[in-house]
Amino acid sequence: MQDVTAQPGTVSKLKPKSYKSSSELKKRLWRNKYLYIMLIPGILFFVLFKYLPMYGLIISFQDYKPYQGITGSEWVGMEHFKRLFTEPDFLKILGNTLILFAMNILLYFPVPIILALMLNELRGSFFKRFFQTLVYLPHFMSWVIIVSITYVMVTMDGGIINELLSYFGFEQVNFLLNPGWFRPMYIIQIIWREAGWGTIIYLASIAAIDPGLYEAARMDGAGRIRQIWHITLPAIRSVIITLLILKIGSVLDLGFEHVYLMLNSMNRNVAEIIDTYVYTAGLRQGQFSYSTAIGFFKSIIGLIMVMSVNKLSKKMGEEGVY
Amino acid sequence: MTKKSFTLLLSSLLTFSMLTAACGNNNSGNEAAATKDPGTSGGNTTTAATTEPAPEPEKPTEIKIMLPLNTAETPPDTIKTELEKLTNTKLTYQFFPADTYEEKLNSSFATGSLPQVTYLKNQTTFVQMREAIKDGQFWEIGPYLSEFPNLNKLKPEILNNTKVDGKLYTLYIGRPLARQGIIYRKDWADKLGLQAPANVDELFAMAQAFTEKDPDGNGKKDTIGVVDRNELVYGAFKTISAWFGTPNTWGEKDGQLAPDFTFPQYIDTMDFFKKLRDGGYMNKDFAATSKTDAVNMFVSGKAGLYIGGSMQDIDTLNKDLIKNFPDAVLDTHSMVAGPDGKFAQWMIPGYNNVVLFPKSAVKDEAELKSILAFYDKMMTPEVSNLMYWGIEGTHYTVVDGKAKPTDDKELIEREVKGYKDSVIGESETNGMYQSYNVLPGRIHAEELLLENVKVGVADPTAALDSATYTSKGVELQQIITDATYNYIYGQLDKAGFEKEVESWKSRGGSAIIEEYNAVYKK
Repeated sequence: MQDVTAQPGTVSKLKPKSYKSSSELKKRLWRNKYLYIMLIPGILFFVLFKYLPMYGLIISFQDYKPYQGITGSEWVGMEHFKRLFTEPDFLKILGNTLILFAMNILLYFPVPIILALMLNELRGSFFKRFFQTLVYLPHFMSWVIIVSITYVMVTMDGGIINELLSYFGFEQVNFLLNPGWFRPMYIIQIIWREAGWGTIIYLASIAAIDPGLYEAARMDGAGRIRQIWHITLPAIRSVIITLLILKIGSVLDLGFEHVYLMLNSMNRNVAEIIDTYVYTAGLRQGQFSYSTAIGFFKSIIGLIMVMSVNKLSKKMGEEGVY
Repeated sequence: MTKKSFTLLLSSLLTFSMLTAACGNNNSGNEAAATKDPGTSGGNTTTAATTEPAPEPEKPTEIKIMLPLNTAETPPDTIKTELEKLTNTKLTYQFFPADTYEEKLNSSFATGSLPQVTYLKNQTTFVQMREAIKDGQFWEIGPYLSEFPNLNKLKPEILNNTKVDGKLYTLYIGRPLARQGIIYRKDWADKLGLQAPANVDELFAMAQAFTEKDPDGNGKKDTIGVVDRNELVYGAFKTISAWFGTPNTWGEKDGQLAPDFTFPQYIDTMDFFKKLRDGGYMNKDFAATSKTDAVNMFVSGKAGLYIGGSMQDIDTLNKDLIKNFPDAVLDTHSMVAGPDGKFAQWMIPGYNNVVLFPKSAVKDEAELKSILAFYDKMMTPEVSNLMYWGIEGTHYTVVDGKAKPTDDKELIEREVKGYKDSVIGESETNGMYQSYNVLPGRIHAEELLLENVKVGVADPTAALDSATYTSKGVELQQIITDATYNYIYGQLDKAGFEKEVESWKSRGGSAIIEEYNAVYKK
């Protein structure tokens, strides 16, 4: 059981409670040995796949050549970062990324909350389950399928929406190639695919609310809207904030696959984001160092955002994620 | 996603390198020792040798081969066993899925674990490998070729296209030089009294007639002429551009190499497409249409002309089309004259993949020669037929001196396909059977392939090197691709397009032009 005793650090961090003697600690560790054993794969996973790879960030300061390896490649300092920041399209790409991110937070983020509140108001568990299943099923479709469905529906070459538009005497709309339609379509697809899935955690936390609170409120004459406003929403407030922080943590991960599939030569001005740029400029051309530098830059922004939002939420009296 | 998969790549790379640092090297060391010194090799080979009725003087050569696999499953040993018998070798095939082959290639390379024979994936991976080749990571094979009678038959012009700094490091997997052309609805054309288009104007007229004259006779205007997709090179654009007289990727202008989009013929082609699209004679959303969607439009009877890609695709298109329209007839065509009355076809460099021999795995000249000897045997009709067509009687039969694959397509897919894509050379050089075709349009296509080469235009930069192109070429080309679509869609005028070309030049294009011209003159 060496492994178990090797992790007192983790334990004391999780349970900041002092033990009277080390023998008591050992006893407790022994009693929960199976839990700690189950912890090992998780820790190994993070060490192997999250922390060790960080070593690879070194190549963003090198002119990395696969056959020379990290130890043999030439150091170039901040060269790749300089190239990124002086790229003529850099501001455009960063701007596009931030706009899509803002749309995600402002337009998508509230939808699962509203949806969860609405589902919660459905009486009769059959309907509730039925609708819940219905709205979260799209989550299991890949972006390839969703983008293909969109294409079939909105194409000007016989897509049903454009056929309907011209049937009713309207002009056909070039949804796929008009840069103005990229962002609306992007966010609609996200809402359609993810909103139902996003409700799961909210519904679970709503279910945990003490029904006595509602009874008391009803006694005082509160209607359904008032109950939502004064009981349900405050009760899930901390969940909302936690999820918001996590969402912001993945700030610039807007879904490479999704955007890349929607991207074409006509809407590149609004659709090229950091992820897609890494793919075209870095990976397709085997420029590992350059793409690592871009990814590194992205992660730093993400880190800064999480730390500031976390601080903000603590100031507001919430717990934050750490 | 990219970041994630990249981290994954890195992490696998790292863990892999750590785990294999010690044991991996030991292994390859042992194997190399085993091949060098047959005396120490395991009992397997000796018993194999003794069980043979007439013991060969030589022990079988052990060769490890890594190659991309274009099917879902690793093929069984049916072909391999035969192959080993024919070539007196002991082969280890390491198949990796083609989809992730580049990652596998990069990580094996980074950890020094490439096997003796390494297939790349395509021309792009080859361009990326050039730097490592120049760095001396792979064996130069040029000087040895003349010792092998069959390898010596490989076409010099294609070998030339695969040279790096004028030296030959690779064997190539051959492909027809110019497969591009039109696949069209002959039944529609016959109904409207149209001939195969002899020039670009007739091509335009055909697209127009297919759109406006109700070729499917259902009384509705629901058909279009050309169906194209979001791809300028393997779609319709480059093929038609060549008919207009645009050079193939790069061309000579005032004694200097210049990229194709600086030629007036490129603008003419864009105007042609603009006219086609504005008139509704091609699919309006072609800049966002995938290959699958384009093929679907064609086989569902919405469009009459499928241009670009390979004319050999007619087999698959026909199979799906006649499911929907049993009376449909397809034909191929490629001789379309430009405005000046001349024929032209752009050509690929004649290969779709190459084989490299890493110095880290092939220890000395003798070992290299024994591997080359295996490839020399592979270029005999007997062996190349086995690998390309399978076992006669099981996977194919010979009709009129040509190979007719069995109707059990799945059997071929499972047992033969994995080896098929690794055959060196082409039927002219390795003597394997040509394919026996029944579809008239496909037979026509095979004739046209030979005609195409006669008017073929090669890419003069295929064997040239430009450092800027290697690092930024793909990214820069995107500027031109975007500008081309914007021009066709009327978002850019000629001045706007030229401004984009200037931006291409200022962001590295000028350097590419200089670098190409510097090596071109040599």
